[in-house]
Amino acid sequence: MKLLVTGASGFLGRHIVAQAVARGHDVRAQVRPVSTIEGLGWEDHPNVQIVRADLRDKSAMDALVEGCDTVVSNAACKAGDFYTQFAGTVITTENLLAAMANTGVKRLVAVSTFSVYGFLRMGDRALLDENAPIDNDPIDRDEYAQTKLVQEELAHGFANEHGGKVTIIRPGVIYGRDNTWTARIGAELGANRCLVVGGRTILPVTYVENCANAIVLAAEHDQAIGETYNIVDDNLPTHRQYLRALNKHREPRMKSLPMPWLAMRFLAALALGVNKLFLGRQAKIPSILRPAALHARCKPATYTNKRIKDSIGWSPQFGLEESLKRSFDDHDFAALPPHDEAAEVQPANPGSTDAPDLDQETRTCA
Amino acid sequence: MLKVKSAVIGTGEISAEHLKFLATSKATNLVGVCDLSRAAAEYAAKTFGAEKAYTDYKQMLDEAEPDVVHVLTPPQSHVTLTTDCLDAGAHVICEKPITLGHDQFTSLWNHAQLKQKHLVEDHNYRFNQPILKIDKLIADGVLGDVMEVDIRMALDLRSGGRFADRNLPNPAHRLPAGVIHDFITHLGYLTLRFFPDPDKVAAAWTNHGGDDLFKYDDLDAILIAGNKHARIRFSCRTAPDCFAVTVRGTRAEVQTDLFHPFMRLIRPRIGGEKLSPVVNQFANGLSLVGSSIGTFRNKLMQRSPYEGLHTLLYQTYKALGNDDEPPVTFNDMDRASRLIDQMLLGDNRI
Repeated sequence: MKLLVTGASGFLGRHIVAQAVARGHDVRAQVRPVSTIEGLGWEDHPNVQIVRADLRDKSAMDALVEGCDTVVSNAACKAGDFYTQFAGTVITTENLLAAMANTGVKRLVAVSTFSVYGFLRMGDRALLDENAPIDNDPIDRDEYAQTKLVQEELAHGFANEHGGKVTIIRPGVIYGRDNTWTARIGAELGANRCLVVGGRTILPVTYVENCANAIVLAAEHDQAIGETYNIVDDNLPTHRQYLRALNKHREPRMKSLPMPWLAMRFLAALALGVNKLFLGRQAKIPSILRPAALHARCKPATYTNKRIKDSIGWSPQFGLEESLKRSFDDHDFAALPPHDEAAEVQPANPGSTDAPDLDQETRTCA
Repeated sequence: MLKVKSAVIGTGEISAEHLKFLATSKATNLVGVCDLSRAAAEYAAKTFGAEKAYTDYKQMLDEAEPDVVHVLTPPQSHVTLTTDCLDAGAHVICEKPITLGHDQFTSLWNHAQLKQKHLVEDHNYRFNQPILKIDKLIADGVLGDVMEVDIRMALDLRSGGRFADRNLPNPAHRLPAGVIHDFITHLGYLTLRFFPDPDKVAAAWTNHGGDDLFKYDDLDAILIAGNKHARIRFSCRTAPDCFAVTVRGTRAEVQTDLFHPFMRLIRPRIGGEKLSPVVNQFANGLSLVGSSIGTFRNKLMQRSPYEGLHTLLYQTYKALGNDDEPPVTFNDMDRASRLIDQMLLGDNRI
């Protein structure tokens, strides 16, 4: 199978490409025009075709998508103001889906996020599965949640209007090399201190290699079409357990300041009340003191990965300790073995793979 | 009350300010929002309560029949879009720069006259409170005759954000003065507000960064009218960001910063010539304390330096309703456009 992976040079994208190639697929890896490709770990691999294109540029899209069997829509923008994130997450997806419609590519695996869920509408310690409510009023959420919600709507629209065969992947907190801290624990207080909101709250993490594996598996399986999968690892740690495990590898250790969930919730409710009563709800309050954002970050809940396990047989390969060990290892696990060793890798699903694309040239679509 | 039917073309960053005004104005009914991106148009329509989202502005003009259209697209598209809106019978409020040169502006203005429609360029900072206060100081004779004007904008455009993006360069880089062209209208109309008739213009356009993305990253222009002087500065290389305005008269001097508003007025005070410097320091110190509280309040309440845009739009719609001349007049736009041309003219380059 030939996969187009967008956002291929990013944290998750690098691993998706590595997993897909390791499982015998050919990959067209989209990177931005001025991204550095040296050190990606698979830039010279014969089964990877790197294509330079900016997804905001509609004119480059048809050529990018043409000839692929499946598109893994992984690119998103997490930084900048709302309009920057809208362009980097929504406009890019809109252009990509229009190109898929133009070129007749139907299969889409869209990487979404837990951020689309409406945590405020859920009870404490409720089960967050794929049927949990979506946030239908994200005005008090951050730009990332707002734009990812629109992005998911576009993916559904592609299924409905163009007969797209769509799988939505909603990972929890993805961690791995250089990305081991998450604001879901609470808040960073300088470089080596953090506020831990609700020490016994479960942290819905997934190690980046496990998550990338789930995404590639979803692309391979027809049973995944029309499905939405939440991705979290097994035996999820609490906030406190994760920090403890992280500190075994981290130097210097992260010192924590505990804050009970109920106390934090009270402070956020108080801030909202003051904002409503005295400031006409116009005041800009830090996200950890906005109930909608606080609940999305820190709410105690329980999680399951049952649906993807039952549906396509995914199982997270690495547990927390091993994942953190790999995260801090000198070896970059997104790097593929050199060319001659790679040739010996057997495809996991040989019947579904096409002949490898031998065009290794780095192209610029812009 | 019969509401004016308004529509918006372009849903980029500045549209948020126009749409906030339109969504809350009692004088307008937002009948359409148009963008080439359906997702962007639909999001804006939903967020700001527009009746319908469009991806084809001609379809919007035909179906929604707006009385006023806000053209908020990149400047290269303004002439085409504005002409079509005027032809469809709508007044146009257009983002700056309204055209890429004075000739284009003259043609567009003549076309608006032919169609008996109003054409308004966004001169929003002219309506910010500090500028209105300086207007009053001049009108009240506090400053005396204005002899010198300094307008200085510093924005660190090179280190990040949409203008530094090399993956998909911003269309502003293709304007005659590069990215500075996206801001030059503000500098022009504010200078002309206090310094209306320059005889001589000289400008140094420089690309100190020296790369191929930015055409220029620095402007240093001098304007002279008889014995009066003005200076316009734009810099990408100094910090912090500022939009500083200084007006010096024969009697007093006033300074402000439109990004972080304050007023520093140095004038003759009680105590005569000897004590005036001390009294000025005390008076301005107290004023600065008040400004810092105001800046904190603005930050907390999410009030941006675009406050003048809301005043401009309010006054424009009021004028349209009363069939009066809008607050940004032909002269304002004509002179600003002409000044930009003069600064770019080869003969005036330093």
